[in-house]
Amino acid sequence: MLRIGVDIGGTFTDFALWDGDERGYVAVEAFKVPSTPPDFARGVMEGLEQLLARGRISAEEPALIVHGTTVSTNAVIERSGPPIALLTTAGFKDILGLARLRLDKPVDLFNRRPPPLIPRQLVFEIDERMLRDGRVDRPLDPAQAVAAARQARAAGAVAIAICFLHAYRNPAHEKAAGEAIRAALPELDLVLSHEVWAQQSEYERASAALLNAYARTTMAGYIARLQRFLDERLPKARLFITKSNGGVMATAEAVRMPIHTLLSGPAAGVTAARALGQMLGERHLLTMDMGGTSTDISMIRDGEIMVSHDGKVGDFPIMMPVTAIEAIGAGGGSIAWLDGPVLKVGPRSAGAVPGPACYARGGTQPTVSDAYLLCGYLDESMPLAGSLRLHRDRAEAALAPIASALRRDAVGAAESVVAVATANMLANALPFMARLGVEPGELTLMIFGGAGAIHGPLLADEIGIGRVVVPRASSVFCGFGCLVSDLLYDLVRTVHGMALEAGLIARIYDELRREGERWLAEQTGAEFAIEPSLEYFADVRYRGQSFDVATRIDAAAAAAGDMKAIAAAFHAEHRRLYGHAEPHAAIEILTLRARIRGRLAQPAATPVAPGPARAIEPRRRRRARFDGAWHETAIYARGDLPIGWRGAGPAIVEEETATVVIPPAFSAEIGRFGDLILERRR
Amino acid sequence: MDPVRTEVMKNRFAAIAEEASNVAYRTAYTTFVKQTQDYQVALANREGEFFAYPVRQGVTSSVCQNLRPMVDEIGIENLAPGDIIISNDPFSGDALCTHTMDIHMIRPVFRDGSIIAFGWAFIHASDIGGAVPGSISPTSKEVFQEGVRIRPNLLYRKGELNRQLWNFFADNSRIPDLIWGDLQAMLSGLSLLDRRAQELCERYGTAGFLEGVADVIALSELKARQAIARLKAGEYVFNDYLETHDGKGHIYIQARLRITGETLEVDCTGSDPQVPFSLNFVTGERTHPFLCMPIINYVLTTEPTIPMTGGIIRPMRTKAPKGTLLNAEFPAAMGNRWVAVMRLYDAILGCLNQAVPGGLAAAGAGQAGIIAVAAFDEATGRQHVSVVEPFIGGTGGRCNGDGVDGIDTPVGFLKSAPIEAVELETPFVIRRFMIERDSFGPGRHRGGGAVRIEMENKGLGATVTVRGLDRFRFQPWGAMGGGAGHSGRTVLNPGTPEEREIGKIDVLELKEGDLLRMITPAGGGFGDPFEREPRQVLEDVLAGLISRDSARADYGVVIAGDEVDEAATARTRAARRNDRLGPAFSLGPVRSALEETWPPTASATLADTVMRAPLGLRPYIIETLRQRLGRSGQKITVAAVQSAAEALFRERRLV
Repeated sequence: MLRIGVDIGGTFTDFALWDGDERGYVAVEAFKVPSTPPDFARGVMEGLEQLLARGRISAEEPALIVHGTTVSTNAVIERSGPPIALLTTAGFKDILGLARLRLDKPVDLFNRRPPPLIPRQLVFEIDERMLRDGRVDRPLDPAQAVAAARQARAAGAVAIAICFLHAYRNPAHEKAAGEAIRAALPELDLVLSHEVWAQQSEYERASAALLNAYARTTMAGYIARLQRFLDERLPKARLFITKSNGGVMATAEAVRMPIHTLLSGPAAGVTAARALGQMLGERHLLTMDMGGTSTDISMIRDGEIMVSHDGKVGDFPIMMPVTAIEAIGAGGGSIAWLDGPVLKVGPRSAGAVPGPACYARGGTQPTVSDAYLLCGYLDESMPLAGSLRLHRDRAEAALAPIASALRRDAVGAAESVVAVATANMLANALPFMARLGVEPGELTLMIFGGAGAIHGPLLADEIGIGRVVVPRASSVFCGFGCLVSDLLYDLVRTVHGMALEAGLIARIYDELRREGERWLAEQTGAEFAIEPSLEYFADVRYRGQSFDVATRIDAAAAAAGDMKAIAAAFHAEHRRLYGHAEPHAAIEILTLRARIRGRLAQPAATPVAPGPARAIEPRRRRRARFDGAWHETAIYARGDLPIGWRGAGPAIVEEETATVVIPPAFSAEIGRFGDLILERRR
Repeated sequence: MDPVRTEVMKNRFAAIAEEASNVAYRTAYTTFVKQTQDYQVALANREGEFFAYPVRQGVTSSVCQNLRPMVDEIGIENLAPGDIIISNDPFSGDALCTHTMDIHMIRPVFRDGSIIAFGWAFIHASDIGGAVPGSISPTSKEVFQEGVRIRPNLLYRKGELNRQLWNFFADNSRIPDLIWGDLQAMLSGLSLLDRRAQELCERYGTAGFLEGVADVIALSELKARQAIARLKAGEYVFNDYLETHDGKGHIYIQARLRITGETLEVDCTGSDPQVPFSLNFVTGERTHPFLCMPIINYVLTTEPTIPMTGGIIRPMRTKAPKGTLLNAEFPAAMGNRWVAVMRLYDAILGCLNQAVPGGLAAAGAGQAGIIAVAAFDEATGRQHVSVVEPFIGGTGGRCNGDGVDGIDTPVGFLKSAPIEAVELETPFVIRRFMIERDSFGPGRHRGGGAVRIEMENKGLGATVTVRGLDRFRFQPWGAMGGGAGHSGRTVLNPGTPEEREIGKIDVLELKEGDLLRMITPAGGGFGDPFEREPRQVLEDVLAGLISRDSARADYGVVIAGDEVDEAATARTRAARRNDRLGPAFSLGPVRSALEETWPPTASATLADTVMRAPLGLRPYIIETLRQRLGRSGQKITVAAVQSAAEALFRERRLV
């Protein structure tokens, strides 16, 4: 079946296409169309129309379209969603306002908690109470919930989120309140916290319910629009939406649970990196996606994407498992400035508008991209993305004040800007790796996105990473990620405080499995059945501690509810993470979790045999700046370089939408799938 | 200062500090380290000033500490590669260690035979022995009740463990293995720091590295000087009060801030002598961060790009006479010191408000309450102790906006636990955890709200302890015409025949079915509340945060229906405008009444005079003098204090 990946970025919408060609990855096609903010759907439809026009797809042909979109994310970050009300247990009106009390920067005298997504008067206290074991302490009067919903609607609310205490253990009150409201006020959209994510922690669960309600209006409208287009132009196409956990879901599910798309933007690139890493046999990867204003880094260890349980979208927590990503405030558009006697880069960015000075689009402040141009990494004679001409004189003029303050020429200033930008990235990347317990020497850096291929190798050099992969079509790598994503669903059951025994654990895991299989069947419908694979987890800690460890449980232990095996797995994971374990200490299981995966057809790793070795002449040579000196640098066109090509730094490889800098300390080759692989020379 | 190398090095230092702190955190054992992150790992120069200090985890307020005096207790010339200094003694090392629960370690970093830096780490040990589990009790009278104490010693000599020393320590803790695990975690952080420092020396040359260190610290100093230069030069005094343990008496705290150009001095002379319970702390002979915390925060706030190094404190001098609560002498107890640090914070903030053009912020709730409960696990019959929640109250209103509800700046790092988890760990049903209506100090920018918690005991019996409570009588003051925030309150079984106010809680036994209601203090207001935007007052009323009565009385805003009655508001505000031109600070009735009799000058003189008596007698002398002088009910003069003191000293033959 034809598979199309569509990923929306701020500037471009990336398309990746695989028609089932058995050469797999090597045969993936890619192209870009300009994004069309704020109406992003238009860019997507234009790209699909192009494919229709070129005859690459037809209305008669079934196709699987996997789409990454952040329309809901933008709504949350800009707080542009509709008014929503929250119903919560009496006594907890400030569940959102007090959050978890903590300030994120307590030394700052003006630090404050971000305001909640909804004002306090839209939080309604309902006189009901569940106890910790799920017993009813005070019964719910559904009429009271309906009255609150009426009041909320009168105040303008279009949706109601409900989060009652201990609903993760007994959702009866949330359900009863929900049913009563649905019956009385069917026009109100409704989200119950236990349906979004049934985990203990009332603030985070209430936030999740609210975010889901908030994101739903945007997502529903967006998907309806795309679906109408597909019904008309590609009636046999099935649309799937990417998730923050690196997987995909059906559109109906995306409308029901749009919260799962909120961090999906950068996740697709990491999913792509995992797939390519598998093909290349790279077990440990640092991924780097550098854009105009920021750089996202993530990590793959032992072939597994690192998962985070404390993600954040805008100001709000996401406690369900998501791909762990660290955003660094340094990009190609980051502005260089003098902070008293020292040179700084960022966090302010010239963005796409007005952009770096060398774009000559009105930007006059010196940026990292201006520095690239003066260092010879970019070329004035080579327009960016085929059309954007660069102006060296503008870059020089913008950097002149810094140059004079540093008492250096413009090139020296540019070099300094690059050095400082690299140090900024390093200051964030090293602690990120440390948090995940990985040393730079063990890692391969995989670079994608616009500016990353210039700066990535420089960062690798600085940080002590010896190997760098620049994927073929690195600039549409997130689109490729859409081609290699699976249906993926996470399930949770909080068991903290329950008297656990083998039978009960086995039963809960079995319920999770069946619930997961049901989900999977809903996503695909009867059209194509998919063999599920399941992973089981438990969040465990030593009794008396408040720090738990996500522990993977093998399928046999989960099926048997084998508590000894769970304990052993926990001790082993604790030892792996922290270097020690207390095998005799009592443990406590807080949650049981499962992740179900339905693998969709995806391009395989079929290497291409290298052709006969031949020398490739560089297109040109120019001077580029490395380690404080000019180096005569060979400039290659990526298209000229065949699989099996080998070269050495200093060199620069240019393609239409990306430039790869190979520092002097590195050698380079085109790998068996066409990726550019740099290796530090020993 | 090299403009590029300085920035590159600053980033490098930050990266290795965060990395090492992470390693220590990941491998640590105890909940104290894991959950409250009361630990740190950092790198200092030869002079003991930090230049690589983490900000993403661990305790950030020690960046202006200095570790050289602790090194000097051993002697820098006596150190060899592989040595590790250890100490938890607040009475040596010039107050690097500020209570016995903090175990400090120092590792010299050698290169080519000489010391180029010192690695430092500390943990708040969850137990170091003493009278109570956890080693902290508000009622401890002397340091001896607060666990075992080790003066600076070598835990490792050239890489070899001093086993006797460790055994001695281990035999005196309730949880030696866990503490050992924490210490090992800190040591792995320290060895990583050493390795990373060596790598930087290889890359940039040892001389380049050392110049980088010097430049980054100098940059912090330069920025701190810039921030100070923006303050109004002059001398400012402000005072505040701690309540004694029984809730009846008070402890006088005074700060005098002298600003001259780019430098300043904080002088705490005039503050009360140390007390025979655990509110004391030490600050030594040098400039100590506890004595200038709001100023450090002011610098960090107004110079957001300043490198986190010891250079920040270079333009500051501090002074607290030995034997005062703020610089206590052996054998003072210090476990519950943080609330005292916070009260001094308030006093200095009062000075800063006078020095910042337009003012800065009102006082926050000013307590560091931690609610804990000991209850029996009804399945096993074993007693276990759980922390319920931090219990703080809001920040003061600020020059640029309202205060934050439910948290105060000096304890802003504290995180609450989910109520759903608390109910599983304790026998309590939490009936209420929300902002207290009308608690805010009114102001153009109102104070942060108080928190009300209501805990119903469902177990058979439970023992509640709350340390760090304060401001039950002395309200958080308002600034620049803002009103005081309301004070704290605790009530047992409200609304029943057994209802009773119980004041400060040390230990409270709860029976089955008892309901304990506690309300924190709230932050003071900033600026004249009659200048608050009526729209903002309306929002607070509609949100249910303030009553219509308060809107009218405190803010002069009349609300009709869901709208501001503009005409009535204008009338109310005009009619009362003249009344509002009161003092810049609103202190609340209790403090105002006290200061009618005891003006700050008299309190300061009393504190100074009592310092002449022998250490152990001071608490009794000060109490006696307060009683004698207070009898008349007249305003007490400095001369009266002096003569009463002379009389008492003569009577007791003390002089």
